[in-house]
Amino acid sequence: MQVHAGGRGKAGGVKLAKNKQEILQAGKELLGKKIVNEQTGPEGMVSHNIVLSPTVSISKEYYLGAVIDRELAQGVLIASPVGGVDIEHVAKEQPEQVLILPIPSRGRFHSYELLRIVKFMGWGPALFKEGMGLIGRLVRAFIETDASLLEINPLVLTDEGKLLALDAKLVVDDNALFRQPEINSFFDSTQVSPHEARARQEELAYVALDGEVGCMVNGAGLAMATMDIIHHYGGRPANFLDVGGSATQEKVAEGFKIILSDPQVKAILVNIFGGIMSCDTVAAGVIAAAKELQVHVPLVVRIEGTNVEKGRKLLAESHLKNIYIADNLSEAAKKVVILAKQYTSTGD
Amino acid sequence: MSILVNKHSRIITQGITGKAGRFHTEQGQLYAHTYVGGVTPRKGGEEILGLPVFDTVKEAKSSVNCNASLIFVPPSFAAEAILEAEDAGIELIVCITEGIPVRDMLEVSRVMRESRQSRLIGPNCPGVITPGECKMGIMPGYIHRKGDVGIVSRSGTLTYEAVWQTTQLGLGQTSCVGIGGDPLNGTNFVDVLKMFEEDSETKGILLIGEIGGQAEEEAAEWIRQYCTKPVIAFIAGVTAPVGRRMGHAGAIISGGTGTAEGKIQALKRAGVTISATPADMGLTVKNLLLNN
Repeated sequence: MQVHAGGRGKAGGVKLAKNKQEILQAGKELLGKKIVNEQTGPEGMVSHNIVLSPTVSISKEYYLGAVIDRELAQGVLIASPVGGVDIEHVAKEQPEQVLILPIPSRGRFHSYELLRIVKFMGWGPALFKEGMGLIGRLVRAFIETDASLLEINPLVLTDEGKLLALDAKLVVDDNALFRQPEINSFFDSTQVSPHEARARQEELAYVALDGEVGCMVNGAGLAMATMDIIHHYGGRPANFLDVGGSATQEKVAEGFKIILSDPQVKAILVNIFGGIMSCDTVAAGVIAAAKELQVHVPLVVRIEGTNVEKGRKLLAESHLKNIYIADNLSEAAKKVVILAKQYTSTGD
Repeated sequence: MSILVNKHSRIITQGITGKAGRFHTEQGQLYAHTYVGGVTPRKGGEEILGLPVFDTVKEAKSSVNCNASLIFVPPSFAAEAILEAEDAGIELIVCITEGIPVRDMLEVSRVMRESRQSRLIGPNCPGVITPGECKMGIMPGYIHRKGDVGIVSRSGTLTYEAVWQTTQLGLGQTSCVGIGGDPLNGTNFVDVLKMFEEDSETKGILLIGEIGGQAEEEAAEWIRQYCTKPVIAFIAGVTAPVGRRMGHAGAIISGGTGTAEGKIQALKRAGVTISATPADMGLTVKNLLLNN
């Protein structure tokens, strides 16, 4: 089955078939199958495509991949004659079995470097040409697709002595999608939650979580910190949502829509640090959006920054039901956690 | 004293004729008289906000003798803008732009590492400010106050939160540096910690980190060995799920590394005081400074 996550084998997403009937049977089971694991997130991912691979007799498995190393600020090639298992595990337990080579700034290895890698993999003269070509093409694909990760795992040697890539994973830098139209066209909205697909359309940074406190925050760091403080006071965040540094009324309204479409949300914490955009403008936007959408769950608003008194006054006089204005972040977090619990226990 | 920028800074804005470039240059001018020009290709010879506009950074440098450049160029051209500023010998380059492709930043990182005269802050950062002297970035100026806490952060609004808390408690800041939320950046925590360590006015340092990468762990190691000043840290993302990008391109836990817990433990082992919640950053700094 094809989903945008790993761990498929363990989740029953890989089937072995011996004949046509078994292929059809496996296909029926896999199409529309949902897997849920750490990589898919709580909502899981449904497979709408399957890949049919020939069964090959494998004499040995290898690992070959390229990744951006943040600390080196360079692309690196990772090669190991020990494949089919977690490469991080191999690197830790048998570091001598893992070769890590910085990819030269010209974007390709010289042939003597390729040969060195081929020999490290333990490939004999009969495989020199094939192996060098394979590694060279992997590096080229890695560079040309603006990948942050490209791995072949497992790469196998068949009993017939051929190298074969059985599975691959490609992660492309989001920031480079504007110049990778072909890859961008592979975006599959069925592989993300409907809320995330919608947030993507509205250019909001949103990640669905499995808690009950919805969060709307301006700025990614503050959004994460807000999730953390909710957790600190005994609640569980329902999402990460960054409405952008300036938190305009349109973005706030979109943010509410996305948060409210999650039925698990029992209360919402709005945490906005009004810097360039003053607090009264932010407050007016929050009020207009909450009224327009008839926000039905309790809303705790904490704003800080320019014109904060004016902003709080606007909120206090807004006649919105179920709105609580907090003076500081701790108070806001404590309040929203209590409100979410009450809302849950009244069975609303 | 202060670090990176002060009242003698001579700043140009690359991308000064764009909406954001123009707005934040004007805000910076209102804060202090440290802006001397701007650069936008094909707009050379024009004037904006009372400042001369040049086609290239080199022309700007020879004409107005700038030593710092603030970049608001769109993502697809921003890496080139950084390289141009480096090539022209600009000492401090601050890139605000979010969304620069990593592949472009690989070349920038290599050039900046070998550069003799230039330092890059960012990209994807709020910039640098020395309260009362110079605002080079997009932060709201009024929340800052001259004081004795040095702040360094990977975030934007979370930094403002910390600044505001320290201002309200009467501590104030020597300088605040946003190093940016991208996986590859020009200046890391250790670089800024060294500057604060050497700055005589900085009495305590507040470090604001987040999930992803190893920059906080490296900072912890440096602090353990060399830092003589009290350091307080807050790390965002204790509740962040594995493998998901949390807004910032660099905020992702991958392959078991980059967790908030790992960073907090490393910093604790280095003797750093951890602020338990983002609401306690200012108070934690204040208490530690009082006890020192």
